Amino acid sequence: MRIAGAGNAPALEISGLNVRYGPVHAVFDACLTVGAGQVVALIGETGSGKSSLALAAAKLLPNSAAVTGQVSIAGREVSGLDAGEFRRIRAGLLGCIAQDAMASLNPVVPVGRQVGEVFAVHAGMGRRQAAEAAVAALAQVEIHNPAAVARLYAHQLSGGMRQRVMIAMAMALSPPLIVADEPTTALDVSTQAEILRLIGELRARVRCGLLWITHDMGVVAELADWAAVMYAGRIVEVGPVERVFDAPAHPYTLGLLQTRRDLRSGPVGAPLFQIPGSPPGPGEDPGGCPFRPRCPRATEVCAEVDPGLEPVGADGGLASGEHRAACHHPAAAPAGPADAPAAAP
Amino acid sequence: MARAVIRRLVFGLIAVAGVVALAFVLEFVVPGDPAKAIAPRAQSPAVLAGIRAQLHLNRPVIVQFADYLGGLLHGNLGTSYVQRQSVASLIGPRLLTTGVLALAGVVAEVIIGGALGILATLFGWARALVGAVNLTLLAIPIFVLGLLLLLVFGFRFGIAPVTGGAGPAQLVLPALTLGLIGAPWYAQIVADQMQDSLASSYIRTAVSKGLSDSYILRRHVLRNVLSPAITMVGLDLGAYLSGVVTVEVVFVWPGIGLLAVNALHDLDRPIVLGTVIVGAVAVVFFNLVADVLRMFVDPRTREGV
Repeated sequence: MRIAGAGNAPALEISGLNVRYGPVHAVFDACLTVGAGQVVALIGETGSGKSSLALAAAKLLPNSAAVTGQVSIAGREVSGLDAGEFRRIRAGLLGCIAQDAMASLNPVVPVGRQVGEVFAVHAGMGRRQAAEAAVAALAQVEIHNPAAVARLYAHQLSGGMRQRVMIAMAMALSPPLIVADEPTTALDVSTQAEILRLIGELRARVRCGLLWITHDMGVVAELADWAAVMYAGRIVEVGPVERVFDAPAHPYTLGLLQTRRDLRSGPVGAPLFQIPGSPPGPGEDPGGCPFRPRCPRATEVCAEVDPGLEPVGADGGLASGEHRAACHHPAAAPAGPADAPAAAP
Repeated sequence: MARAVIRRLVFGLIAVAGVVALAFVLEFVVPGDPAKAIAPRAQSPAVLAGIRAQLHLNRPVIVQFADYLGGLLHGNLGTSYVQRQSVASLIGPRLLTTGVLALAGVVAEVIIGGALGILATLFGWARALVGAVNLTLLAIPIFVLGLLLLLVFGFRFGIAPVTGGAGPAQLVLPALTLGLIGAPWYAQIVADQMQDSLASSYIRTAVSKGLSDSYILRRHVLRNVLSPAITMVGLDLGAYLSGVVTVEVVFVWPGIGLLAVNALHDLDRPIVLGTVIVGAVAVVFFNLVADVLRMFVDPRTREGV
């Protein structure tokens, strides 16, 4: 069952998205596109607004959050729909995979029934039929002996198994978009790799778009086609993943990559690179560019004007505007270590 | 699961034995001479001594206790001093009337409390109102509430009987009294559990699956409320079966509580002990039933017990 609109419409199109929790402005004017069948990694540290953005796109924020802006999924405008209208189509449009699968599964309902509900409610199946469909869905996510596992409860499963169940639920109706909020963070390293591989394979088979929220640059390099970097509620850089990794235009992206390079190839025992300073706290707006206090390139204009996302370096066969950054002084050439941010001025 | 049940049964038996011993000791610490209670006008020490001998009260306490325990093991609760009837035959029918009242009271408090809790959780406007109702019900003494209901519905409007007894019509007001007194506890537990559940990640998952609010409430939220509510019902049934004394006195409901109060007054030790044992067994039994029921409702309680 696929409720998608036009076949080639982007899986997700966000424009002018703002999220406010009372006085706290969590997401500023975000624009982001996940092409059909593409993987976009949304990178940022805790509090950068990446989860707020994803939850707003999935319409899962509580009523206390004020959300404005446009969201289309598979060519279908959903930001204007009321809760009831969206509820009836949402499972066919997008699936969600959460970080903490233990907390995200109902502790007193067998996991098979939790998967089966999706079929019972949206595919009009009877109890038995839905139960069979649930077992099939569990087999799809490579759970051995799915019929037995379907009868178990969340606390009886391993972390990897629980996350597989979440994936089975999210992909039950083969939606054109999957939103995954750090789905491997809570898992041990070998399970992480398995889940990554599984999601990659399933995604290719179902051909759905994937918005992957993470702070793990390694996962980004492995899985994503595109990368979007968030800082202080703003998307500060977006582009094809090789491009963002090889030629980061924003000094914050550069700092993130520098830390990762030190982790991977730096001398053992040497201090890791850290971006100096700390991000603005919730509700704190220093004016101008939010990264300015930590930025080595900052000049007067940075204190006055909050830079918008502008195309950078349309060379190298990239279409103009594919690689964009919100910086008054974007680095044009591939960055050398000399360009790494130093202490704040 | 069977092992957990057996373990609890053993602990329950130990608890009952402890209660019996304690009650027996207390009976003898309480001042008063049962012989005088039986024959208040008899002045001659010889007559009183005769009565004591007849009741075996002239023997050492430890021997009396052993005798009593021996009887208990044969299922014999002894004979009432005053009514000259076996304690079992006195308690039996009253256990039934108290059981009816206890059950009706628990049903009433679950319905009233559950409704209040759900109301307070789902509707913002109801929260303060339910809070006020809860506080009032908690503050009001049970006999005041009972008398109030009796006054209003019995005497003023004449729609409830005021004569006492154990008929279905007489059941309504005492059950309502128990229900109202117990309701705030259920309201609180239901509201707390529902709020926890509604704020949880698994409800967000349910929403992300496109399930309707009423479906989520029925299948995902209320299921998580059931387990603590069952524990409370088990506690209440046990406690009420050991005699809802105040309510039985106010409404003259001929149950165990009324029997126990009269027996205390008459120093009728076998009856007092009998009601204590019945109460202890009821508490142990219903807690066990509640625990077993919980294992069915909440799979997490099945393991590691």
